[in-house]
Amino acid sequence: MTTFSRRTLLQAAAALGATSTFTQHTQAQAASTLNAAIYPGTWDEAYRAVVAPLLKTKSNVDVAFDPLWAVDQVTKVRAARGVAPFDCFVLDPGPAAAARQAGLFDTIDASKLTNGARLPAGFITTDQVTVNVQMVGICYNPKKVLNPPKSWADLFKSPYVERLGLTGFQTTFGTVSLIEMAKAFGGSDTNIEPIFQKLREVLPKVAAVSTPAALPGLFQQGQIDIMYTNTNNAATLKARGVDIAFIAPESGAITFSTTLHIVKGAENKEAAHKYIDTAISADAQSKLQLSPYNMIPVNKDVKLSDNLDIKSLDEVAKMVSHDWTMINPQRAAWIERFNKEITK
Amino acid sequence: MASVVPHGIGAVQWRLATPLALTYLVFFAAPLIILVVMSFSVDENLGGFTFGNWSRFWSDPFYRGVVWDTLRLGLLAVVATTMLAFPMALLFVISGPRARQILLFIILLPLLTSVVIRTFAWIAILAREGVLNQTLIALGLTTTPLNFLQTELGLIIALTQIEMPLMLLPLIAVMQQIDPALSDASRALGGSKWRTFRKVILPLSLPGWIAGATLVFASSTTAFISQQVIGGARLVYLPSLIWQQAMVVYNWPFAAVASVTLLVVVLAGVSMFAVLGRFARTS
Repeated sequence: MTTFSRRTLLQAAAALGATSTFTQHTQAQAASTLNAAIYPGTWDEAYRAVVAPLLKTKSNVDVAFDPLWAVDQVTKVRAARGVAPFDCFVLDPGPAAAARQAGLFDTIDASKLTNGARLPAGFITTDQVTVNVQMVGICYNPKKVLNPPKSWADLFKSPYVERLGLTGFQTTFGTVSLIEMAKAFGGSDTNIEPIFQKLREVLPKVAAVSTPAALPGLFQQGQIDIMYTNTNNAATLKARGVDIAFIAPESGAITFSTTLHIVKGAENKEAAHKYIDTAISADAQSKLQLSPYNMIPVNKDVKLSDNLDIKSLDEVAKMVSHDWTMINPQRAAWIERFNKEITK
Repeated sequence: MASVVPHGIGAVQWRLATPLALTYLVFFAAPLIILVVMSFSVDENLGGFTFGNWSRFWSDPFYRGVVWDTLRLGLLAVVATTMLAFPMALLFVISGPRARQILLFIILLPLLTSVVIRTFAWIAILAREGVLNQTLIALGLTTTPLNFLQTELGLIIALTQIEMPLMLLPLIAVMQQIDPALSDASRALGGSKWRTFRKVILPLSLPGWIAGATLVFASSTTAFISQQVIGGARLVYLPSLIWQQAMVVYNWPFAAVASVTLLVVVLAGVSMFAVLGRFARTS
């Protein structure tokens, strides 16, 4: 039987008191700094290691990161109802379009971005700055899949389909990959009927239908040997010693941009501009492209390093991209349908 | 402390509960009320009243299936933990003090690591190239690796280990208090070991089992991480449905319907165990 002596109770109470004063203390400090949301994992590590120190030395701004996936960031700001829980978003096009529609962005003053001119035209708009382009394609284990699949349609053929890990419409990379697969079977950006038919057909054979967060773990454990994902995820696994190779399908790799935004009602708008300016600076971008971060740079002054899966930024212009204002209205229905048809 | 009244509770004593009551009111009751109101709302800004969300949820066989699967998962976890916990608890009760310490440490072990780590460890065990499959292949029991991940069976195996302490601890606490003289008496009067267990130990340990079953049921029906990671996308349970509707689809009223449903399902399960206990005691 556990018994609480007065001493242990007092100790516990003292410890509780200490933690609460500690958190109050850190909150007081955070008020003078910038709060930026960041994707957990590679992005969190990269921005802490590269962007935060540069921002401190150049602009004397302390940045505190709040690791959240894109959809979680948008939900958190919506739930806060006007009180900005952090100053900057980092988003993919789908959640960005949803956030814009919900009026969650503040305007960005391009004249405050000293590195703005070094970005290709169109990368800075009134409410977003593109900091990185992502590439989505097919990843496979080169030790087990000696003859890799060449197209999206190949994924549904033997022997690939038996090793394939599927994921649905919850993530940006999952959604755009499934759209491209639909196109491979005669669909279009808005008509993805063919992929649902194909999924029903191959379901008994696929190695796993998983949540996006569990995919890398399944790949590492050999449960699946083929998946579709972005080059960042592939690079992270590779850096941890996993046998993984990236291949662009014949129809072209998919690209989408990652954008920074200022949250409506942000307390530190000045600091937010400095943060964005630092993230697109040649200094930061040339370091962010190196292993293990592997982020494809957008600053024209940066010479692309060898570890990236592209040779020049011009290649990005030829890749497949999608209009998320068309996708978002249908996405809820697609998710519901995926749920219903994929469930056992 | 002379003012303590031995019979009845005066106004002063009720005031002792005020701090906790206020905390519950602000941080538990109020959000719960908002949640219920949200489930009858047209949008997330609580504009307009509708039964639409509820009728959409309950008229759809898919969502009714999700509710049933969640309930079933909780019940199966209770059955599995019960079958493994009773022998273990019996062993604990008849062991000496040294053995008890070792057993208690082993029982508590799962609680000492985070649920996230435990869940990911189960991927390493259940995967195609995992420990379990390699053992089965080495023993010649199967030639091709079996699929445990992404199946209900795999999820129940993992949940059984993860939730085991919640069943064992209350069970042991109650069993320890059973007077050994009672089983001795049963044996001396000619009762077999099995009959002694069934007629003496089992009824007396029921309160512990009910507490354990309640905890395991509530914990496994709401085990979001384990359900997501081990169950995968083909097994949809209420927690992942709530997450999806709230975070990805932004349909907060529908997420609220699923949340209230989950709450009712868990409460129904919990009260079912309580009723079972009362029934067992009176019969």
